[in-house]
Parts: sequence; C-alpha cells; structure tokens
Amino acid sequence: MCRLVAAGSLALAALALSAPLAAHHSTAMFEWGKEVKIPEATVERWDWTNPHTFLYVQVPNDSGGTDRWAFEGMSPSHLARNGWSRKSVVPGQKIALTYYALKDGRKGGFNVTITFPDGKKIAQLPQAMP
Amino acid sequence: MRVSMRALVVFGAVMIPALAIAQGAPPAKAPAQKDYRTGYSRLARLPDWHGVWAPDWSTLFPRGAQRERPAGPQFTPAAAKKVADYRAGQAEGKNTQTDAANCVPPGMPSIMRMPYPIEFLFSPERVTIITETESQVRRIYTDGRPLPGDPDPSFNGSSVGHWEGNVLAVETIALNPRNSLTPGINATEQTRIVERFHEDKPGTIIVDTTIIDPTLFAQPYTTKQAYVRKPDWEIREYVCQENNRDAADQFGRPSMDIH
Repeated sequence: MCRLVAAGSLALAALALSAPLAAHHSTAMFEWGKEVKIPEATVERWDWTNPHTFLYVQVPNDSGGTDRWAFEGMSPSHLARNGWSRKSVVPGQKIALTYYALKDGRKGGFNVTITFPDGKKIAQLPQAMP
Repeated sequence: MRVSMRALVVFGAVMIPALAIAQGAPPAKAPAQKDYRTGYSRLARLPDWHGVWAPDWSTLFPRGAQRERPAGPQFTPAAAKKVADYRAGQAEGKNTQTDAANCVPPGMPSIMRMPYPIEFLFSPERVTIITETESQVRRIYTDGRPLPGDPDPSFNGSSVGHWEGNVLAVETIALNPRNSLTPGINATEQTRIVERFHEDKPGTIIVDTTIIDPTLFAQPYTTKQAYVRKPDWEIREYVCQENNRDAADQFGRPSMDIH
C-alpha cells in the first residue's frame, strides 16, 4: 500500500493535503508498473520480516539448471491486514509469480502476484487483483 | 559464579554511596508526586479516541472528485533554492531515497503521514500516540505546562497540548534537523508545528497540521491528514533493522541486497 499510494499521489503532491509518504523507500530502483511473469518457480525461502517481506525462489534457466531470484514484497503490517501470513508461502512449493524488475538487471525485483498450482492467486498490491 | 556475585555486591556497596555523593543533596523543591488516579474520571469528558486508527487518503482524495490545486508551500528564497538543488539531484539519480531507507525514524511531521496505523492512549493530563511506523511514541502533555525552554532536538520533538472542547490542539518544537518537512527541506531550530485533531464525523479524525518556520516558509504551511477508526486492528511490531535490504548511500541512491 505504501508504494501504491505513494506512486499514485505524485500527481497530487501539490495539494495542501498530506500526501502519503513511502514508509521505507521509494520505488526508484524498480521498473515500477511493468509486470513480468515467471511461470515456474520453486520457493526457497519466505522472509516474513520488516521493513519488507522477501521471497527467494529457484527458477529454471536455459542451461538446464536453476537460478536464484529474490523478490521484495510489502511489509507484514500491510500483508497481514490483506489476507497474507507468514505461512502464505512454504519452501518447496511450486508457484508462478509476477514482478517488477530491478532496473540494474540483477535477478530480482518487487513481487506483484503469486499463483499456486490450484489456481489460487494472492497479490501484494490491491490493483494487481482482477 | 559465587565469586563474581560477591564482587558485584562489593562493587554495588561502593557505587551506591559514591552515586549519592555525586548527586549531592536532593533539590530543594522536589516536585510533589501528583495523584493521577483522580484524573481518570475527568477523561470521561473527552472524546473517546481510544484504539487504533488507520490513515485514510480516500477521505482526502475521494474517487472521482474534482481535484483542485491549492497552493503548495510558499518557500523563502533560500528554501526555494534548496528545493531546486534537491530536485536537480533527483534528475541525476540522487535523493531518490530518504533516511528512512536506512531505518532512521521519520520524526515529526512525517511520522503522522506514514501508511501505517496509529493508536491513541488517553491518561490523566496526557495524550500518547503510538505509531506502528518504527514503533514510535509521541508524548503530548496536556497538564498546562509550557513548552520546554531549550530542549534537545529529537525526532518527534517536544509537544504540549490542550483541549478546546473536542479539539486537541498540539504544539511541537525542537525537531531533529534530519527531519524532512517537505521534499528537500529539513527542520530548523525555528520550526514549530501546530496540530489540531478533531473527530470530523464518528470514526474519522482529521488533523490539520501547520508548519511555521520563517526561515523556510513565507507563510505558515498547513496540510490535512485523515484517520479512520479500525476497531478490529492491533498495532503490530515494526523494527526496521530486522531485515533491511534496501540501504541508501550518502547521495540517497537506492540498493537492494538480493543475497
């Protein structure tokens, strides 16, 4: 929510109303808004921590192995009030995910959605849900 | 273990008299301890804001509403130059992150504009605001005391308040010069913040916040913030140092540790 509101409020910053601030950091390091999909990933670790959650996954690469990718997420404060928990994602789980890429090209970014094999989908940001 | 315990006892026996000597005689006019228990009954006269409130920008920015463009802050020439330099830095990739990326508390007034809830506690002659952001506390003394004369600066400043009917009026001074007031502009020794809290309609608190600093603003700069009651929420712990992987460098440029 912090990012969402902060991004949406830029145009309103001139208003003499308190524009919300990013609680921790801005979205400048991400290709914010350009959603990229990873159709197949295996959960390695799920950090339910402040100021951000972190999701680490193994993703198949072109040479037959896997690469480790890291995705930042919203804080537990935000996610816990939107249906997530420290048990939402479990190591070993197969998932599909979408993300906003890091601008520097490293294997990581900001997680947007996670889709489980049964089709259930959870979203970090409210506008990411259909 | 026994030896170290004995050593501690001996150490304590030496230290306690030493401290007593160092402190000298008690001050001639030690303030009498008030009996605050009688004050609790008087709290019934105040509005009931007990509990957790979430910031709510939809109150301020209604969907579909026509958006006027009131003037932003009117800076002094010196402050306007600071803002221009800050924006120029942003164009070069600097200043995109604030101290918050390094887990420094935002302080006043930003602490009241964070996307996390706050909690009000009323006790006799005092209002306490607990913010989920950075697990911070604002102590607002409403016992009629004046603002302190020369307090050390602090992130949340020194605050006193009073009730005007159902309006809580708060004045805050002595902000840490690291506190950002608006992008590119930090608090100075002259910065003063006046807040007026009132329950606009049941379950919605509006805070009008006026920042006064003649070195920065050509005229007082007032902003508005809304909070809505969240009866089923509890404040969560928020310790930024728990797992901060987004440190900013000295130029406010971001990072993300992916390892």
